[in-house]
Parts: sequence; C-alpha cells; structure tokens
Amino acid sequence: MNYPIWQLGYPGGMLIALVAILHVFVSHFAIGGGAYLVVTEARAYRTNDAGMLDYVKRHSQFFALLTLVFGAVTGVGIWFTIGLVAPEATSSLIHTYVWAWASEWVFFYVEITAAILYAKSWETLDRRQHLRLGWIYFVAAWMSLFIINGIITYQLTPGRWLQTHGFWDGFFNPSFWPSLFTRSAMCLLLAGVFGYLTLGGEASATRDRLVRWASGWTLAGAIALPAGLSWYFAVLPGFSKPYFSGIVVLQHAARGGLTFAAVLVAIALLAAWKPRVMRVPLMTVTMLCALGLMGSNEYMREMARKPWVIQGYIYANDVRADAIPGLQQDGAAAHARFVAVDAKSDNYGRELWVLECSACHSLDGYRSMRFRVKGWDAEFAKEMLAHLDKTRGPMPQFGGNEADRVALGRYLASLNPPEEHGAVTDSNRMRVGERAFQVHCGNCHTINGSFRPLRGAFQGSDAEQVENLLPMLDSMSPNMPHFAAPEEDTKALSSYIAEEANRPIKAETTTEKPVGGGVR
Amino acid sequence: MNPMGVVPTTDPMPLPGPVWLMTALLLLTFTLHVLAMNAAFGGGVWTLWNYLRGRSDQHPYSRRLARELAKALPILLAYTISLGVAALLFVQVLYGRFLYTSSILIGAAWILVIPLVICAYYGYYYASYTAESGRRRTAVVLGLSLLCLATIAFLFSNNMTLMLRPDRWMAMYRAHPNGWNLNTGEPSLLPRYLHMMVGAVAVFAAMLTQVGMRRLKQEFEYGRWMVRRGATVFAAAAGVQFLLGMWLLLAQERKAAMMFITDPVAGSVFGVALLAVVASVLLMLIGAIAERPTRLVHAGFGMTMLTVGLMVTMRHLLRQAYLKPYLDSANVTVAPQTSVILLFLALFVGGLATVAYMFWMVRKQSAVST
Repeated sequence: MNYPIWQLGYPGGMLIALVAILHVFVSHFAIGGGAYLVVTEARAYRTNDAGMLDYVKRHSQFFALLTLVFGAVTGVGIWFTIGLVAPEATSSLIHTYVWAWASEWVFFYVEITAAILYAKSWETLDRRQHLRLGWIYFVAAWMSLFIINGIITYQLTPGRWLQTHGFWDGFFNPSFWPSLFTRSAMCLLLAGVFGYLTLGGEASATRDRLVRWASGWTLAGAIALPAGLSWYFAVLPGFSKPYFSGIVVLQHAARGGLTFAAVLVAIALLAAWKPRVMRVPLMTVTMLCALGLMGSNEYMREMARKPWVIQGYIYANDVRADAIPGLQQDGAAAHARFVAVDAKSDNYGRELWVLECSACHSLDGYRSMRFRVKGWDAEFAKEMLAHLDKTRGPMPQFGGNEADRVALGRYLASLNPPEEHGAVTDSNRMRVGERAFQVHCGNCHTINGSFRPLRGAFQGSDAEQVENLLPMLDSMSPNMPHFAAPEEDTKALSSYIAEEANRPIKAETTTEKPVGGGVR
Repeated sequence: MNPMGVVPTTDPMPLPGPVWLMTALLLLTFTLHVLAMNAAFGGGVWTLWNYLRGRSDQHPYSRRLARELAKALPILLAYTISLGVAALLFVQVLYGRFLYTSSILIGAAWILVIPLVICAYYGYYYASYTAESGRRRTAVVLGLSLLCLATIAFLFSNNMTLMLRPDRWMAMYRAHPNGWNLNTGEPSLLPRYLHMMVGAVAVFAAMLTQVGMRRLKQEFEYGRWMVRRGATVFAAAAGVQFLLGMWLLLAQERKAAMMFITDPVAGSVFGVALLAVVASVLLMLIGAIAERPTRLVHAGFGMTMLTVGLMVTMRHLLRQAYLKPYLDSANVTVAPQTSVILLFLALFVGGLATVAYMFWMVRKQSAVST
C-alpha cells in the first residue's frame, strides 16, 4: 500500500509473465547452448569433423546475437516490470538479496565478455584457448542460474528464512536443488532444440550427423526433466499441492506441459532415426513445443506460489502479511499512500479494487472480476471479503476494515448484479437453487465434489432442515460468512442442496463445475 | 498535499550492507556505465557522421573510422547495459522507494526502454555487419538506433528527475494512473538531458584521441587525424557543455544550486570540476596541435575522466540535497550480510581478473598473428 498502482487495465502480472517467459526461454538456451557450443567444438576437433566445426562457428554467431541482445535485455526487462507491478515485493527482494544479484552480475559481465570474444576469435585463437573461452562462458552462465535459482525458489519455499531472515536460510531453501536440477535439464533440452535452427538447408551426411547430435541433447534434457519435476513437486508447499487437482487452469497447464514434452521426445527420436525430416516446419513445431513447455513450467511455478509473491511474507497484491492486522483495524486509507479519492467518496470502492484486487484480476478479461461476482449483492460481497482466504482459489486475506469491505462490496456488487428470475415455481426451482448455490456457497464448497464437499453435512436432510440451518452458519463456524438472501432464493437453495446431497452418485464421478470454471 | 505523506515508508528489511559501501559501488558502477554509454551513444553519433561523410571519396579517413567504429558499437552497448544493471541494483536498494514510485508514474513510457534497447542493439549489430558496404540503408538503421538510444536517455532523464520530486507525484497519479506521464514540467529536464547527450559526444571525442595516439606508431597520418579531430570536437562540445551545465545549474531549485557555493564539499567538487574541464580542453588542444601530438593529449584525457567522476559526484550530491527531508526522517536499519559481501567482493575481483585474462589472451594471440 506504499506505492501507486500502475493501472494498465489488465493485471500487471500478465506483463511480467510475458517478459519472463520469453526471457527464461532464451536465457536457459544461453546456458545449455554454451555447453553445447564448447562440447560440439571439442568433438569437432577430436573427430576432425570440418563440417561440424563450420556448423558450430555459425551457431556461435546466432547464439551471440540471440542471447546477448534479446536474452540479456529481457532479463533487464524483468527488473523493470517487477518494479512497476510489485514494487513492495521487489524492494523486499532487493533488500534481502542485493549481494546475490551483485554476485550474479559479476557472472553476467564475465559471460558477456566471454560470449563476445568466443564468437569473434575463431580465427585468431588456438583451439585450446578458444575452448577455454567457451568453458569460462558456460561456467559463468550456469553460475548465474545457480544464484537466480536461489532467489526464485526462496519466493516459493522460503523455509527457515521466515523465522531467521538469514540470507543463506532463504537461499538454500527446500526447493533450491530440485529446481536447479530441473532448470539444468531444461537448459540441455533447449540447447538441442535451438541447435536445429542453424543446421542450414542443404541435405548432406554432415547435416544428418548434426541433427542426431542435437537430438541427443534434446533427449538428454527431456529424460532428466520428469525426474526433476517430480522431485520439485515433492517439495512444493503443502498448500499448493491441492491446486493441481483443484484449479482447472493449472491442470490444463500440467497436461499441456506433459504433452509438449512428449511431442519433443517424439520429434527428437524421429529426427535421430530420420534426420532429413528436420526441416523448417518440424523446427517450428519443435520451437513452439519447447516454448510451450517452458511457459507451462513457469506458469505452474507461479501458480503454486499463489496467493503469495514471497510465501508467508508478501501477498501477490503486494501487501505484506504482517500489515494485514493494521489494515483491518485502521482501514486501507490510513496506510495507503496513493489513494486518489477520499474514503468517504462514492468512488472509494473502485479505489480499493485498484489497490487490493487489480494486481491479479481484470474487470472483464483475465481472471475477470465481473464474471466472479455474478449475482453478488453488496451485503454478501462484504461478507465474502472477510473470508477471502477461505475461498476455493488462492486468495490473500483482505487488507481493510469493515468500512472498506462495505465500500468495496458495494463496488463489486455493482459489477454484475443479481438477475431477476421471476417467481420460483416447480419448473425453475432447481435452476434458481443452483444459481444461488454458486453465488452463496460455491466459492468455497462443492456438494459432491472433492473440494470441501457438503454431502456429508446434508445427506439425509430435507429442504426444510437445510433452510433452518442456513441462518445459523456464521454461529457454527467463524470461517463461515453470515447468510442473507431473499426468502424465495433461500427456499430454492435449500431444495437444491437437499436434492443434490441425497442424489445417489458413484464415488469420484461428480460433474459439478467449480464456480467461475475454477479459473483462478 | 504534503509530499511527506506520499513518499513510501522505508522497507522493513534492514539494509544488507553499510550505506557507504553501497553508495561507493553505486557511484563506481554508474561512472563506468556513463563512460560505456558515452562510448556507445557518442560513438554511434561519430560513426554515423563519419559514415555519411565518408561516402565521398574526399574523406577516406572518415570512411575508415566509421567502419572501424561500427564494429565496436554492439560491444560498447553490451557493456553499457551490463554496467547499467549494477547501478540499477544499488540505486534500488538505496533509493528504491523514490525510484519505484517515479517509475510507476511514468510506467507506460518507462517500460518502452526495453523494446527500444533491443531495437537499438540489433540496429547496431546490423550496422556493424554492413558498414563496409557504404549503403544508405546502413546509415538509416544506425540513425534509427541512435534515435532509440536518445529516447531511452530522455526517459531516464524524466525518471531520474521525477524521483526527486515527491511533491509532483500525487497530481500525476491522479492525471494519468495508467502511467502515461512525463516529467516535462521539470525546469531542469531539458538541460539535464542535453548535458548528458552532448557530454557523450564530447567524452567519446576524448576517447578517440587515445585511440589516435595509439595509432601514431603504425599509421602516423591516420592517427594524427583522429587525435586532431577528436580534440577539436572535444573542445567545441566542452564549450557547449559549459553553457548547458550553467543552464542545468540555474534550473535547479535555489537551495540545491546554492549548495555548490555554500557547502564546502559540494563547492570543492564543483570548483575542481570546472578547473578540470578547462584543463582538459587546454591540454587536449595544445597536445593535438603539435606536429606530432604530445603526451598532453593523455593528460587531457585523464582530466576528462576526472571530470566525469566529479560530474557523477555532483549528480549524487544534488540527489541527496533534494531527498534530504525524506532521507533524514527515514528510520533505516543496517544489518550487513558480511559473509555474502565478502563473497561478492572476492567474486568481483575474480570476475575482473577473468575478464582481463580473456582480453589478454585474445590480444596476445592477435598480436602474434599480425
């Protein structure tokens, strides 16, 4: 709440994702490709393979142009975007890890120098010296991964850092080694995938040999990757593991990643068997699959950390966890520095939406808020805001007092007000009830699904018993909001719950859809 | 609106190292960044000018110089970026709450820096590959690259001045919360920007005299042409810089500008800087005008480097003066991460040694093969 919000009209996280995915795609190639260059060069000397040597010279030029310019500058781009979108978290990271970044910068300038000289000195250096440059490059590049990996994994699993705030406690955190292994595997894979791009068009025995060589790298990476990912998954924080079975988009990302990896393995095997299939169309498919694989991995990592930027410390909306009690007591306006309107103004609700929600939600696009609050009234919205962290999706606690919840609730309720459904009759009762369930219960519960199912609580109850229970929810558990709805809706909802909870079902075969399609 | 009320509070995490050390590293890396930027941008301007001039057969040296310079441009830009990253790290840790805020306020423009750098960089590579051709397209691409770089510099000038002016922040946020703001209301913006840009051409001219001096042994005429041309442009640009510098000083708030007269440290830095500029011009011209350029050119170059260092210091002092009310009231704690700092310093030295080793290896081998 310290900083102004850059109001792009869509969540700033999307911009970070765009820049970051493009950057990691090239930067992982910059590491694996470094090993690829020097190992290929050494092999060309050892086997006296002039064709391979020509290729690796050509590849080194392409490598320098892509990694030094696009790779390096998009890395700076991540600095720019995170500072714009999550300044509080960036400030915290820089206060904790400036010396790590400074050390990474040392490797960065060694890397740049080595890459420039390596690409330029084919004709001037002797073989041994030229190889030495290549190795210096690779070691520096991998070390920069080593360091950045410590910081990125710290965000997801800070481990003992949360208690000690000690540099090394955060750096060598529980997901450090699995992530380093996985990323190194990805580097190998990308070295092979990018290796296809500079083969040249003319079919020849040399080209065939090179296709097989690059395919070997792709396969080596692809084989190591599942082991790394399983290891990584095993050390994920407890709260995020259920996301992979509960959040639809995450399931899509995981399936997509697996599919891309499988296609890459198939392509590499095919290319090793029939090298001449490796032409522009297949190269394009290979590149797109590799980008998809990288993107889905990064997306899953980001999602697994939600609702945090630094787990247990700063939420994704740039609010510190330890600031929440103060915000809930004094109200956001007492702490926020950049509030454009007075807290008593009618527009204050929108201002709170900008402050608290817009880092992750857009109004109508990605993670649409209008879609999510369909049918909410102001009273219900206010209640929901008090229980945000109990909802089905990964949400932070709300950083505001009751007056803030009233103001923001009113704004949210205005986005997509309840529709008139007319009189409730036998023919529309279930439909009205289902809609009421989605609005009032579905953000946190299913009836027969896997996420907090209500079947156990309501099985055997009839509609009247359910109806009697609804007004008492908040007195039964502090995690439950107060229930308030028009009488007709309450009756329809009770009928719906009773009907669904008593419906005979086969275990695990529910077709119940999560609210908002589960898109969080 | 009380500007104190909008300045973000200090980060609750303590500073991970002594302020003096991080300030020293900021000033060191920023000075190196400025020198690299001067070489990359100033060098680009020189390349374009000589490239265009060298298209006529009457100016073979210009043609040759343009071709030689064009090859170096991408490398110079690579170091500009790399050194800029280090300065960006330390400025964030020391002044993050000011810099993040001003960056967000001009966010839509600020983020353009990234695609502009990429375009400029690829343009420089294109020029380096095609400079031999003498084609018009090379000049056009080079010109566009320079335009990108000049735009980036303008955005930096905007941000670096806006971070010093919390009193403007709230009005800007209300006007354009989407980040389409610039700090054009700042009287010192234009002189500051021009001072940086003309300075780049001047400093590169000084660098060129050193290249020329090295060439004297192998190709006397060409080397002397470089030295003389560099010294002349340097002197002219330094004259313009003097005027721009005065404009920049007068455009500052009175209290900040007066510091260079009333404060003994700031006053000394300012005084020595003025003397250094005058000395650099005189030494450079006297050294270059001789039949065979003399060592005075080196001395002039040394004075130029000193001037750059002093200018960076003045810039720092101005920043401190503008931010004084906010820095004084800040409750900053320091908890040095000693083991990591030592590790970094060891790596830093090791990294420099590795870079020196690589250049040594390549140079030695090149010398052998020629």
